[in-house]
Amino acid sequence: MSSQVKRVVIVGGGSAGWLTAGVIAADHRSPQAPGLEVTLVESPGVSPIGVGEGTWPSMRDTLRRIGVSETDFIRECDAAFKQGSKFVGWSRGEAEHYYHPFSLPQGYTEANLVTSWLQRHASTPYAELVSSQPQLCERGRAPKQVTTPEYAAVANYAYHLDAGKFGQFLQRHCTARLGVRHVVDHVARIEAADNGDIAALLTAAQGRIEGDLFIDCTGFASLLLGQHYGVPLHSVQPLLFNDSALAVQVPYAAADAPIASHTIATARQAGWIWDIGLQTRRGVGHVYSSAHMSDAEAESVLRNYVAEGAAAKDVASLAPRKLSFRPGYRQTLWQRNCVAVGLAAGFVEPLEASALALVEFSAAMISDQLPATRASMDIVAARFNDAFRYRWERAVEFLKLHYLLSARTDSPYWREHRTSASVPPRLAELVALWRQQPPSRYDFFRIEEIFPSASYHYVLYGMGFRPEAAAFPERPDNAALAERFFGEAAALATSMLAGLPANRALLNHLQSYRLQRI
Amino acid sequence: MARKVLLNNVEHKALRVITTRSAALGDDVMSAIVVPAEFRSVQACYPIVFQKQADTGQFLPLALFGFEARENLFLTESGWDANYIPLSIERLPFLIGGQRATQQVAPPQLVVHIDLDSPRISWTEGEPVFLEYGGTTEYLNRASALLHSLHAGLEATPAFVDALLGLDLLESFVIDIDLKDGSRNRLAGFYTVHEERLRALDGTAIVSLYARGFLEPLYMVLASTVHFRDLIDRRNRRL
Repeated sequence: MSSQVKRVVIVGGGSAGWLTAGVIAADHRSPQAPGLEVTLVESPGVSPIGVGEGTWPSMRDTLRRIGVSETDFIRECDAAFKQGSKFVGWSRGEAEHYYHPFSLPQGYTEANLVTSWLQRHASTPYAELVSSQPQLCERGRAPKQVTTPEYAAVANYAYHLDAGKFGQFLQRHCTARLGVRHVVDHVARIEAADNGDIAALLTAAQGRIEGDLFIDCTGFASLLLGQHYGVPLHSVQPLLFNDSALAVQVPYAAADAPIASHTIATARQAGWIWDIGLQTRRGVGHVYSSAHMSDAEAESVLRNYVAEGAAAKDVASLAPRKLSFRPGYRQTLWQRNCVAVGLAAGFVEPLEASALALVEFSAAMISDQLPATRASMDIVAARFNDAFRYRWERAVEFLKLHYLLSARTDSPYWREHRTSASVPPRLAELVALWRQQPPSRYDFFRIEEIFPSASYHYVLYGMGFRPEAAAFPERPDNAALAERFFGEAAALATSMLAGLPANRALLNHLQSYRLQRI
Repeated sequence: MARKVLLNNVEHKALRVITTRSAALGDDVMSAIVVPAEFRSVQACYPIVFQKQADTGQFLPLALFGFEARENLFLTESGWDANYIPLSIERLPFLIGGQRATQQVAPPQLVVHIDLDSPRISWTEGEPVFLEYGGTTEYLNRASALLHSLHAGLEATPAFVDALLGLDLLESFVIDIDLKDGSRNRLAGFYTVHEERLRALDGTAIVSLYARGFLEPLYMVLASTVHFRDLIDRRNRRL
């Protein structure tokens, strides 16, 4: 049987569902040639989890691909610019910090920056020597000017966004502009075909919805892949302990308070606190390990953090929302004619904001590789599974690196994070290697690595990791070259600081004026 | 800083305006804002390009006089060497100000202001602004008419620009200018009309542009680009 794939049915209407619907519909439908039929089914009254308020620069490509205007997106999703992350207290548990900016180090592919940094500039933090972006963040600058076209950057950037508003924004765009059919109904039963495929969804009010490819975006419920097919969740809790989060929305202290253009991730005794700036509020949350800290304790840690930067009345009125999760992912993401995207595929803690990025990667690959017939679907599925197992493994390793390199000894949580049983073998091997050579493309050789080797540089050297003495030999001509790039980064910082507006100023401006498309 | 005040025939009775053209009088500008209603005259002398305003990010059309800041290649020992000067330059040192009537419901009256810090202001030479008994001179009447044309033109410009952007008719361009001394200069940061897309527009779009009075200024922009050659020649003559 080689039937054509003409009907894509997405189940679940959170940001994962609508992003996937948007990418597929934008790529495969047009008013002239309707092409694929894309249907999104969502239950009434299911509120999205709303994790993933942080994104990666890939979101700019995804939004452009879907065909939305950046100005509309920023206005309607309470979005703000994000230029990377600032990690506070991760190595020693004090006020020390380092940056993981989105910009690659200046000259990253052309010189051995690490050796030159260690030999001649070791007192300067690595990220601040090789990139202009930490300075832009420290000074609260926007990553672009009012004259910069939509989606174009002066300094590489992504967004902080309100996930609830984002889902609704994408829904309006997908239904009004991309011809996605929106069905609001309970999925009562899943009807299997003789060959084991999913033939149709039986909805409570609107009957059967047939499809050729079903995309499970039902969140933690994982209705199709997890429940129907019984694909188990591969737990990574032995590696990454966090399984709980308490989230609050914090108003700004004043209407003109600066908006940080980076995520602030502050380590605490049994987890860490995220702090992300939207236009109208901050999103703050404490993610922690329930085995190491009670909810009540976790809440007081969160309140203490918020109290540092907010009015007392605002702290008192906070009502934290609790979220529990089993950190892990499904090792088979695409089974028969069903593929899971988003939380239905897996979730590990929000560190480094990989959740929405994985949704984008998934949606892009499904759409790029969309099988024309059922017969070719199994080939694509196998490749998809390989690609995403690889990505999940790399994501887990990269997150683990943040804990593994810590020198904190103030709690069992931090000490246990360094026991060998909690470290993936491949990561242990890489860290041993990185004592003698910096992370490189030889370590991360796929075309679309989820975290490039430069990200490992920022975290390793930001956390205080240092190679063995006499490691990383330099070519004779390297020193001059590296110095030139350090000079370029410094010059860029100077010129960008002179030309870039404050992050809040640009966001305010966008309420009155649109960015140009050109 | 500019001191912009409401013009009145008591305080400013004896005020005069120097109307000659020179760098000292502020004419050393690389470009000036132009409005679609004057494009026909502008295109006879200068290239018309579009640029995003630094404060708003919105596009405005400009006439180009030079290739770098403060370079006006039309400015010579004997004045401004062109037979048309854009409204936004010609009206100086006057500007329009809004004055609200006492009742807030009335639309603001457009009134003439003057920049007292302009180097054109004089009490001894140049064109008188008021007559002996307080009446307005022909010179002021003309300046006032220019101001009103400019104001109306600026009000009409966003619709024109939006129409172009809506049809994807603007594109950025760079010009590499090879001068006879062997130096190479690049002009960047400006936008022009995308000719191929304009030619490819369907009848409905063309009729709509025509009906809104946008078609003529659009073609004036295209015609104006021949003056880049003239600008380069003027620059070469100065080497």
